[in-house]
Amino acid sequence: MRNRRWWGMAVVTVAVAMACSSTPATPAPTAVPPASQAIKTTTPVTPPPAVATATVAPATAVAPTTGPSAAPAVPTVPTGYTELDTALTPGSDGTMPYAGKTVDIQVQWTGGELTNFTNSLADFEKATGITVNVDSVPSSHETVLKSRIEGGSPPDIAQLAQPNGILAYAAENKVIDLATFMPVDKLKAEHPSLAFLTEGSNIWGLPYKQDVKSLIWYPVKAFAAKGYTVPTTWADLIKLSDQIVADGSAPWCVSAGGPGDATGWQLTDWVEEVVLKSGGLDLYNQWINHTVKFDDPRIKNILDNYLGKILFTPGYVYNGYQSVVAQDQKTTMDPMFNQDLSAPQCWMQKIPTWYGPDFFPDQRVSGQPSKYTIGADGDIGIMPFPAVDPTQNNVEVSGDSMFMMVDKPEIRATMEFLATPQGLEAWILAGSAISSNNTTPQDWYAGSYKLQVASQVFNGASGAGFDASDIMPPAVGTGSFWSDMDSWVNGGGQNPTTDATLQLIDTSWPAQ
Amino acid sequence: MAVAARSETPQPLSRFILPIAGLIGFVLCIGGIAVLVDPHGGEHLLAWIYDLLGNNSGALALRNGQGDQLFSKILLALVALGVGVGGIWLLFIGVGWLVSQLRPQLRDRILPWVFVGPALVLLTVFLVYPAVGTVFRSFFDAKGVFTLANYSTLATPEFIGILGNNLIWLVVATGGSVLLGLVIAGLFDRVRREALAKTFVFLPLAISLVGASVIWSFMYTWQPASKPQIGLLNAVITGLGGQPLSFLTQNPINIYAEILIMVWLQTGFAMVVLSAAIKGVSTEIIEAARLDGATERQLFFRVIVPMIRGSIITVATTIAIAVLKIFDIVYALTGGRFGDDVVAVRMFHEMFQFFDDGRASSLATVLFIAVLPVMYINLRNFRRQQVEA
Repeated sequence: MRNRRWWGMAVVTVAVAMACSSTPATPAPTAVPPASQAIKTTTPVTPPPAVATATVAPATAVAPTTGPSAAPAVPTVPTGYTELDTALTPGSDGTMPYAGKTVDIQVQWTGGELTNFTNSLADFEKATGITVNVDSVPSSHETVLKSRIEGGSPPDIAQLAQPNGILAYAAENKVIDLATFMPVDKLKAEHPSLAFLTEGSNIWGLPYKQDVKSLIWYPVKAFAAKGYTVPTTWADLIKLSDQIVADGSAPWCVSAGGPGDATGWQLTDWVEEVVLKSGGLDLYNQWINHTVKFDDPRIKNILDNYLGKILFTPGYVYNGYQSVVAQDQKTTMDPMFNQDLSAPQCWMQKIPTWYGPDFFPDQRVSGQPSKYTIGADGDIGIMPFPAVDPTQNNVEVSGDSMFMMVDKPEIRATMEFLATPQGLEAWILAGSAISSNNTTPQDWYAGSYKLQVASQVFNGASGAGFDASDIMPPAVGTGSFWSDMDSWVNGGGQNPTTDATLQLIDTSWPAQ
Repeated sequence: MAVAARSETPQPLSRFILPIAGLIGFVLCIGGIAVLVDPHGGEHLLAWIYDLLGNNSGALALRNGQGDQLFSKILLALVALGVGVGGIWLLFIGVGWLVSQLRPQLRDRILPWVFVGPALVLLTVFLVYPAVGTVFRSFFDAKGVFTLANYSTLATPEFIGILGNNLIWLVVATGGSVLLGLVIAGLFDRVRREALAKTFVFLPLAISLVGASVIWSFMYTWQPASKPQIGLLNAVITGLGGQPLSFLTQNPINIYAEILIMVWLQTGFAMVVLSAAIKGVSTEIIEAARLDGATERQLFFRVIVPMIRGSIITVATTIAIAVLKIFDIVYALTGGRFGDDVVAVRMFHEMFQFFDDGRASSLATVLFIAVLPVMYINLRNFRRQQVEA
């Protein structure tokens, strides 16, 4: 009897110990073995994902850097920033002024992205002696961040994909105004996206990494084999789509961006894209701050005749519009690779820069580098989203911004470093990032076809519109806009009707 | 009480053991709490110890943020354990000794409060205060202005839909689990390998809600009709010649698909409790009923079930409370995006995504009010069972 009781207790103890030992891996702030990982916002296999907009780039494999760079990735003094100059200049006794200090940054990135971020900080840490601790909270970054901020122990710096989140914290007086120590003119000149983080004379956040969304991925060789040309206008795009249908295939691979909580973001991206390219920045900004409401005839026109045309024209979307909300965004482009890209079953997908070979069916499954190349003469190419109104040459962007919550000299120095092009250099050279700083040397992007195309689109545009889901009040931007678009597509645009859908989104706009 | 007895025996010095121990424990606790409150407490404490031992370099390294971090963390854990466990123990001993010095009548009145007091204080601080705070917060909007809008918006079609979903969950999930548990408990009563059979039904209860959601999401996976179905249910449907159905994105079937997961999890619990209750029915009554000519079905539904009414109510209310709070399944599968939103998921979104604490608080208050009747039934049933026993 006694023996059995002891055995029972031993079994229970071991079981409890095993259960408790399966803690989530805490990533070290130094380099982590790169791994291809699925999008954190959507996989059903991982724990409930963060409710971030899916505009945050998922982890991509770390590509080898293009040869050892001779100079360390830090800006040269004088940098134009006071605390950064101090940090990089040895004191009279030979030691660095901020040596030994620590700065905490909380980010959402994990895997390959995290490695790229920490690599971008490595030379800065060496040069200044500051230790930067990067806290990676992949699956509930916003929840943890809110708890930390409201609880009074915020990280020194944090990353967020949504400017409206940063502005919400600023309204609660939790964010340090960058204008108090950074030269405002220099910041404004170098960061086109700064406007979305500015309120009057206060600058609450720093745009760091940019994603270009006005891109369509397509199979280059298959296009050439069939004699298709890359469309430059919307009319050409529709003509091409009709041609593909006539040739017996489906032109579009479309997913709403699911599965899970972020389903709907790709649909809203389409709407924002066409608003930017047809109505311009004026209409876009009025729409974002609700001066132009969702049931405005111009927005309704975009839903019915542009997005609706792509989604609901019979034969356009591979597997029909009914599959759009259920289609997993990781596998949306798989039909393009049918028979080694010789007989694609869908021919175009609109998806941002963070997409890449780690999503291709072979690399996604095996983890080995894909045999399919991306390039102008490779297997998969990238075309800019065609013009709708030729006078409205605007590009849709999204990105990650940094904001500061604790004011200390070494934290100021770190923020200033992140504002320089060198703050992202290692990431750019790994072929996976575009800097929000427009003084970034163009030859850093030379090694990556994807970044070249994206930066050309970005630099060639007359205006840039930040993803509306990140600017509109979150109850709309990541709430009703996503959910109601899902319902609209699911019902074929008839049930609920376009009018009903747009009115629903309008009513959910929080009272000012 | 041993405490009282020891202090009454007139022995030199030993009568001071308890108060001195209590005092030392008190001082240590204050020191321990001071260490715990300091964000770098473990390092400072270890540095101080190193200084005492003469290891000055180690102490300096610790104070600068390097050094034996692992040891400082272990030390911190030991201090926390010492304060948490030892401190409470010493507190009770000390205060118990203090109270036992009083007159018997006063002592008997105060002593229970001494032992229950700390728990009551903690409950008030960590349960009652936040609850009151939440209700209070629900009357203010996101900007801090007093408003009743957080409650009036609950009358809009969107929120009525959400509340309706919770009602569907309550009725179908609770009813399903209890009914299924009852039937299985009754049937398994006669099965030969009863323990084995019951284990299989009970096993899902060990799985977390999120884990179950992942498992069932593979069951419900939808692929376009032209591709092979990797979801079990859709494979069966297409095998029988039908069109694959997207269980999770089609409303209202997605609600019932999610309820099915909850029923799968809770049936084991219902079955175990009700099976024990059924076995508790005295065999004489059953034999008497059989002698009176009752069929097995009449026996089960007319004799046994009324006799285990208390257990059924207990099980039903426990499952109902868990169902009313449902969050994990809906959040993990669809995020509430396809018409299957429930109060807890919406509350989470309002709080952490939409930054509207007032609306989140009003949803929490509504959930709290919804659970109260269930708790009342449970308590009343519990008290009635105590009277009957």
